Amino acid sequence: MTIYIDVLFWMRQKRWFLFAIAYGLVMHFVVTPPTDLNPAAFDALIIISMALILIVTEPLPLPAIAMFMLFMQVVLGIDTANNVASSFMNDAVFFIMGSLMLAVAIVSQGLDKRLALGIITLTGHKTWRIIAGFTTISAILASFIGEHTVAAMMMPVGLTLVRYAHKDPKKVAGLTAALLFSIAYGATIGSIGTPSGGGRNVIMMNYWAEFGDGSVTYLEWIKYVYPMVLIQIPFTVLILLWTFKPEHSNLDSAVRKLVIDVAHAGKIKGREWLAIFLFVLVFLGWVFLSEDFGLGIIALLGVFLYLAFGLVEWQELNRKTNWGVILLFGAAISIGIQMNETGAAQWIAQVIITNLGRVIDSPAVLQGSVSVLLTGIMSNILSSSATVAVVGPIVLDLGGDKILIGYATAIASAFGYFTAVAAPACTIIYSSGLVKSKDFLRAGWKMGVLSLVSLLGLSLIWWPLL
Amino acid sequence: MTKKKPLFDPKSLKFLTAVSSVEYSKPTLKMGALIASVFDASHGVVYVGERASEFHGSSVNLTRTNLDNWNIIHPGLEVLEWALQELKKLSPENNELAKIQFNPDHVYEEDGRVRVMLPEEKGCRIELVLREGELVDQLRKEIQLENYDLAIIGGSQNKRHLAHSLIQYLPSSIFILQKFNPRKKYKLLLLVDDSIATNKSVEWGALIAEKLGWPVRTLTVSKTKRFGAGYQGAADKAKAYFDSRGIEVEQFFLTGDPVRTFVDFAGDNHFVIMGASTLNPVKQLLFGSKPIKTLEQSDVPILIVR
Repeated sequence: MTIYIDVLFWMRQKRWFLFAIAYGLVMHFVVTPPTDLNPAAFDALIIISMALILIVTEPLPLPAIAMFMLFMQVVLGIDTANNVASSFMNDAVFFIMGSLMLAVAIVSQGLDKRLALGIITLTGHKTWRIIAGFTTISAILASFIGEHTVAAMMMPVGLTLVRYAHKDPKKVAGLTAALLFSIAYGATIGSIGTPSGGGRNVIMMNYWAEFGDGSVTYLEWIKYVYPMVLIQIPFTVLILLWTFKPEHSNLDSAVRKLVIDVAHAGKIKGREWLAIFLFVLVFLGWVFLSEDFGLGIIALLGVFLYLAFGLVEWQELNRKTNWGVILLFGAAISIGIQMNETGAAQWIAQVIITNLGRVIDSPAVLQGSVSVLLTGIMSNILSSSATVAVVGPIVLDLGGDKILIGYATAIASAFGYFTAVAAPACTIIYSSGLVKSKDFLRAGWKMGVLSLVSLLGLSLIWWPLL
Repeated sequence: MTKKKPLFDPKSLKFLTAVSSVEYSKPTLKMGALIASVFDASHGVVYVGERASEFHGSSVNLTRTNLDNWNIIHPGLEVLEWALQELKKLSPENNELAKIQFNPDHVYEEDGRVRVMLPEEKGCRIELVLREGELVDQLRKEIQLENYDLAIIGGSQNKRHLAHSLIQYLPSSIFILQKFNPRKKYKLLLLVDDSIATNKSVEWGALIAEKLGWPVRTLTVSKTKRFGAGYQGAADKAKAYFDSRGIEVEQFFLTGDPVRTFVDFAGDNHFVIMGASTLNPVKQLLFGSKPIKTLEQSDVPILIVR
């Protein structure tokens, strides 16, 4: 009897895995591929759709899904083992690996206390100014060091303020939500600003290079995209104040307690200066050397320096780095490249153009709206980086200027305002237990509208000027 | 009248109460502590929180490590700290328990969970555990790991939709506190039939009635007007057991659809005890069982004894 229950329970827990396998078997052995799609491309689409089912429902650990994507390419004869292996590791994967490790290295320096003091000095005690300060600092920092790093550093500052404002944060739910969302949405809108703001930006740059669509430098990316960050900051502050209506207009006492707290850390130490200096070096490397060396290699160089100067222990990096995500992105990019090489991406793009072309006359509107809406919707279900890895090859085949479509896609992948799963910063504030899923919807739709309008303005007004 | 030897040794029993928040879990914890004291069982409290998507799991962990440096503890540990304070209030006479201090730094990860290290307590037998993930999966793992005999789960978070999975997959007895009101006077309603689990549920029911002084009713339902020897015998045996312990019991024999009759009879002022189904697990999955359907349809706390 127990064995039956164990088997049934396993089937319950793995139902989506079983579904994905059944789906794959039916698609491979029963369904005939469309005549204009070659068998290898059809198999690549089967693998990617099975992987999407597994990624969204998580019946298996991420590394297992990564391995599945890799071995299936060889098993189904899409490519040789050596070619799959070489497409698995590239500079975008190096960048994701490096940025995850840099996050650990930077967060472990304790610089968040300095940051807290800096923000409070700038903003004063008024609630709206503090929320504006949190949003601005989160956005600017996230555009260079990544949203997960910023959210990890800002969360203690936000939560400490909330707790000093009221013993029970649930009694000041509006203030709590406004402060935490100023970190999450600030970091999210900032993450599009530079290539190093998020792994998804680097994945898009990698696709441009891999598919021969051209290359973009760090500064060029900033020139095209950063205005959108700056436009969104003040409107984000207004949306948060309008949506959550903080209970206190002044956080005088909470700020004073916070200042006393962080003052205990004393003056900034040599070790902290060194940590900042090393990051500035990495940043300068990204700006001036990434064309020759690649963003990923420079990120790894930064990690090397942190290790070499003893600012972080390898054991700590090893323990806190999500190796599963790195494997998954490697595998997702590998299958993304196969989608391009087998013609699967072009086939999907053609299907979209043929079907939507009947409704939308203008090719530019069709290309823009499909890339933005498809990416924006998928980002709220998957994660933003995984969305770019999967959707990137398709949207780049929709036609038009591939660089501009790529920018729009990378930007739209940051529109994950509606759920806690899309962006790491949103997951981080959700894990506090102090904001609810419905809070993401309450503010998220307004942010969605803001971002869509800003992107439209950017593409219609700013990009033609460049 | 000689007292019969019980089928179980209460001292060896282990009960587990699942808590979710300070806001909603107070009645559940109170009932968990009460039932554990009735059986003199050791008492585990588990908080099962949502697990972050694996994509961002490491970022969340990095943030939590950083929050620790600011003395901001995991929300689940806050709930467990509150649970310990509540347990102390509920057992003011327990001096050993009173001495236990919650220290969020004294936690360790093992077997996919976080366990709060409590001092070497004598006689308190309290466990505090934090888990993250899907409720049924995490409770099942905890029950299997620690061999719990009973899982006590609140009904405040609409657990009804989980009834099927909880009953089918948790390897212990389960007690679901649907619409439980600690201020209400409940009557104990024991559903008696010829299944094997009825014997144990009668024993558990007798102990609860004895310790809490709750009035007891037994209900036997037959689909036809004729009550077979098995049903009649089980009802008589149950009555005899209660009599042997000096507990007054009212017996009811009704005909009709068993689940509908249980639910109508229980109304909203009974505390139902029934045996777990002995149906084949596959049949239970496909067609349900009496406990599953009763739990799905009723509005009262239900203890399903396995």
